[in-house]
Amino acid sequence: MAVDFAGTYLLLVLLSSLLVNFVLSIYGIFFKPHFTKKVIALTILSDTLNTFAIYIGYRRWLEGVNPRPPVLTTTPTWESITEFSRRAVDPLPQALVLTAVVIGLAVTLFLVFLGYILYMHYGTLDMREIRRLKG
Amino acid sequence: MELAMQMLGLLTPVLIIHAFVIPILKLLKSTRLPGVIALMGSGFAVVATSIIFYGVQEGGPMVYTYGGWPPHFGIVYEVDYYNALLGFLTAWIMLVIVIYSMWYEHHIDDPSWYYVLLIGLETGILGCLYTGDAFNLFVMLEVLSITAYGLVAYHRDRAEAVEAAAKYALIGAVATSLYFTAVVLLYAGYGSVNMAVLSIYSRTYVAKVSAAFKYLSLLSVALALWVFTYKSALVPNHFWLPDAHPEAPTPVSAALSGLVVNVGVYATARFLYTIFGPDSTIASYREVVLLVVFILGAISGIIGALMMMAQRDIKRLLAYSTVCHIGIAYMGISAGFIIGNEEAIRLAVMGGIVHIVAHGIAKALLFMSSGVLIDAAGSRDLDEMKGIGRYHPLTSISMILGFFSLAGLIPFIGFYSKLLIALGYINSGFILGAVLIIVISALSIPGYLKAISAVVFSTGGEPRQRLEKTWIEPILFAMALSLLVLGVLFQYLWPVYDEASKALVTVDGVNEYISRAWNLIPVELKLFMGVTP
Repeated sequence: MAVDFAGTYLLLVLLSSLLVNFVLSIYGIFFKPHFTKKVIALTILSDTLNTFAIYIGYRRWLEGVNPRPPVLTTTPTWESITEFSRRAVDPLPQALVLTAVVIGLAVTLFLVFLGYILYMHYGTLDMREIRRLKG
Repeated sequence: MELAMQMLGLLTPVLIIHAFVIPILKLLKSTRLPGVIALMGSGFAVVATSIIFYGVQEGGPMVYTYGGWPPHFGIVYEVDYYNALLGFLTAWIMLVIVIYSMWYEHHIDDPSWYYVLLIGLETGILGCLYTGDAFNLFVMLEVLSITAYGLVAYHRDRAEAVEAAAKYALIGAVATSLYFTAVVLLYAGYGSVNMAVLSIYSRTYVAKVSAAFKYLSLLSVALALWVFTYKSALVPNHFWLPDAHPEAPTPVSAALSGLVVNVGVYATARFLYTIFGPDSTIASYREVVLLVVFILGAISGIIGALMMMAQRDIKRLLAYSTVCHIGIAYMGISAGFIIGNEEAIRLAVMGGIVHIVAHGIAKALLFMSSGVLIDAAGSRDLDEMKGIGRYHPLTSISMILGFFSLAGLIPFIGFYSKLLIALGYINSGFILGAVLIIVISALSIPGYLKAISAVVFSTGGEPRQRLEKTWIEPILFAMALSLLVLGVLFQYLWPVYDEASKALVTVDGVNEYISRAWNLIPVELKLFMGVTP
């Protein structure tokens, strides 16, 4: 019963909160006028998408088969590999997310510095007032 | 062959090492050294891509496995005729841009960081073109994007440049995050991020396809396509380009307009022909997607051509011309919506590829030659540049040749690209496609004539300053001549483009791409993958 609760109900909550976060962050990026708020919405968006990637690689605790880390500790035999593929968590999405997180950090830092220079030029970060270009 | 394979593996690591060595050598306090290192890097890229191109010509598609891990288990770089040709083009244009940057150095306060970003941009473009792994494409797209944002904002004392970079970077970061989601969705569905393996799965899963599978593939293709069209500024994602390209330093404008936009076109074609081909999971929807891309390309061409006439700033005019020509390239590449006439698709896609080449050379040339004239006039405004071209005849001639090629005059290469796209659509019986190409060409001519007449044929302007360094002018002239030579020799050179189109469109070409990667996977590992193509 407890396992079912964690396995289905909480995952449902996670998925719906991912969806809500996604919509909110897209709204924040496109409709909030302030540059800093846009950057914050962008980090929420990338975190949402990273969590989604982790969710893809997640393995539920089903019928007493508990998931385990994807590490082979013994010399692999046919049986151990079959058991491994039945129980191990998929490591690839985690590796992808690790890369994406590092890249996201760099992009966010760049945007923050860009915001600083924007502020020095315009004296404001309100994107409605920063429109010297025609677009 | 062996050498070409080694070069494929070496190319991006060696280039990025060149980029990162520059700030270390800053300690030597030499003003020339950064440019020399950048020249070495881009020179190496030219040698490597030429050898790779030759290798592909001799022995067909090549796969380099990083760390010796076979495809699907590790990152691979896979080159077929299509991306070998584009990589070759990129490296040569980038070499000219680096040489031009050495001329342009007097506008740049700290050249070493500029060259780091420029060589980083080249690494990103070549990585995007050569990679055979959808996730590595994401990483390389980010390398390309972040260097491009940095370069657009390089004149950070200009408020407009920072503003353009902020707008470009903010939406660009959203775009690359969504591409990441597209890759994760592909992985969730197919269990692989390798392009060749994805291509196998998308074909063999057809038998047991369920609706959910189809919609997942469609969703991921939709997300990926939005990103690619954003990167290549197809309408309605073109809003950033007319701001960002003119505000960047001139050599960077040339690199962005001539090379970076090609990456989007390349990746779109790779997704819709190689990974999801005509007999794949999304078979009937794929044609609809391609038709939409065709329509957007046509709208993009018309909007770009019309907006070009209204511009007074020469760099903005050239930026809108990029929107127009990327539209035409997309119109050629998206010919796959014609069902059952492979000959016609091949012709039109070949036209699209020739157009990428023609536009890349011509647009880089035009930005660089306009940079020389802007320096002489001290302004980017066409009214203030009146007659400046008369003081720099060599640059003016190369500029006029570049405009002629873009407008599609015989015997420039720009004529043959439009001709091939139009021929492809006429061959398939879709006359409207050919008519649209002619209409867009006609609409774009007033914009070009406006620029030529203002800069070269008007009188009255006086140069603000005499240029001291004019050694760049012969190089620009040589680049302009290359447009003419490529056009005149087109009847001998067309098999090159035809092979590229064949690698993309025909079943044989795609099978060759798949089998080269598939054959590298050991038999024992294939047991775990569940398919036999």
